[in-house]
Amino acid sequence: MGVLRDMLTALKGGASEIGEAIVDANAIRILEQEIRDAESAIASAKQSLTRMKSTEIKLKRELNTLNADIADYERKAVSALDAGKEALATEVAGRIAELEGERDEKSAERAALDAEVGKIHQMIKARERTIQKNKRDLDKVRTVQELQRATESVSKNFAATGSSAHRVSKALERVKTKQSNWQDRMEAGEWLEGQEAGDDLDAKLRAEGIGAGGGGGASDVLARLKARQGS
Amino acid sequence: MTLEELAFRLNDYTDEEGTTFDAIVTERGILEVVCSNNDEFPIHMTRTETQILSVTPLFNVAEVAPGKVDELNAAFLQLSPAVPLSAIGLQGDTYILFGAMALSTRFEVIAHELEVQAENAIDVLEAVEHLLA
Repeated sequence: MGVLRDMLTALKGGASEIGEAIVDANAIRILEQEIRDAESAIASAKQSLTRMKSTEIKLKRELNTLNADIADYERKAVSALDAGKEALATEVAGRIAELEGERDEKSAERAALDAEVGKIHQMIKARERTIQKNKRDLDKVRTVQELQRATESVSKNFAATGSSAHRVSKALERVKTKQSNWQDRMEAGEWLEGQEAGDDLDAKLRAEGIGAGGGGGASDVLARLKARQGS
Repeated sequence: MTLEELAFRLNDYTDEEGTTFDAIVTERGILEVVCSNNDEFPIHMTRTETQILSVTPLFNVAEVAPGKVDELNAAFLQLSPAVPLSAIGLQGDTYILFGAMALSTRFEVIAHELEVQAENAIDVLEAVEHLLA
């Protein structure tokens, strides 16, 4: 089910006011029910997996025992052959064949169990996907509902002030004026800072006897005059 | 973080660009935030189980200049990619700018997103101002 398609249909139909269902209430209940169903299916699948795991462990142990027995009898059969006891070896071979039959049966059982476990894992994944998809769908519905709620109070204000022409332009104008005032203040502040920094610098230079300019005092004047007299 | 906590922290916060925030939770449980960089178009915040939503209602369809709705809609579709963090939408008869954040979003990031959304609202409105009545 595509919740967005349902939502669009409802919105086109004018379900834009708070309290109006943007999605059929039934659709929401179905989504929620599907989530609950999938969750309980996953829970019981996990129980089955636990049971299967114990069967698997048992089969594995039995197969190991059978393989060990077969290997043991094979060694014994070879020893019997080495000792020239053909009849005994034949008897042992019969036993080995019996054990091998049993092992093949258990192997087949294990393969079937593995396939079953694989299927259950697939099923769990599919159910998980259903849950996630439904949760995302529900979230879409709730998002739109919340957006409606958040928009509604202001929409009413728009309606109230709707008569005022150029409302947006006037508001933009006010914002821009405030921003430009703020900018002016910033620039004034920077200018002042610059001035203060400049004053500081001049003071530092004077302290170091640099760039004292024309007002160098009587000693400078006298030195200049003496220099002229000498030339 | 609840909307009340968010309001409390926003009221006491100045971001790196000097923007301040006035935040109140309305009776309907909506957090209304006025950012100092755009105090004409407040942002309305709410939350779902997974996300925080921030909505700036822009204007009503009735405020669009006669015969300009199609042109406006096309302009909004074209502008939308330019403001990827603030989507443009129509909620009932109201054009909105909105954003969504994860519930786990850090406070400083939320404040920054609000500042950007407030700024985007001005930019978007300036771009379509000529299509409004």
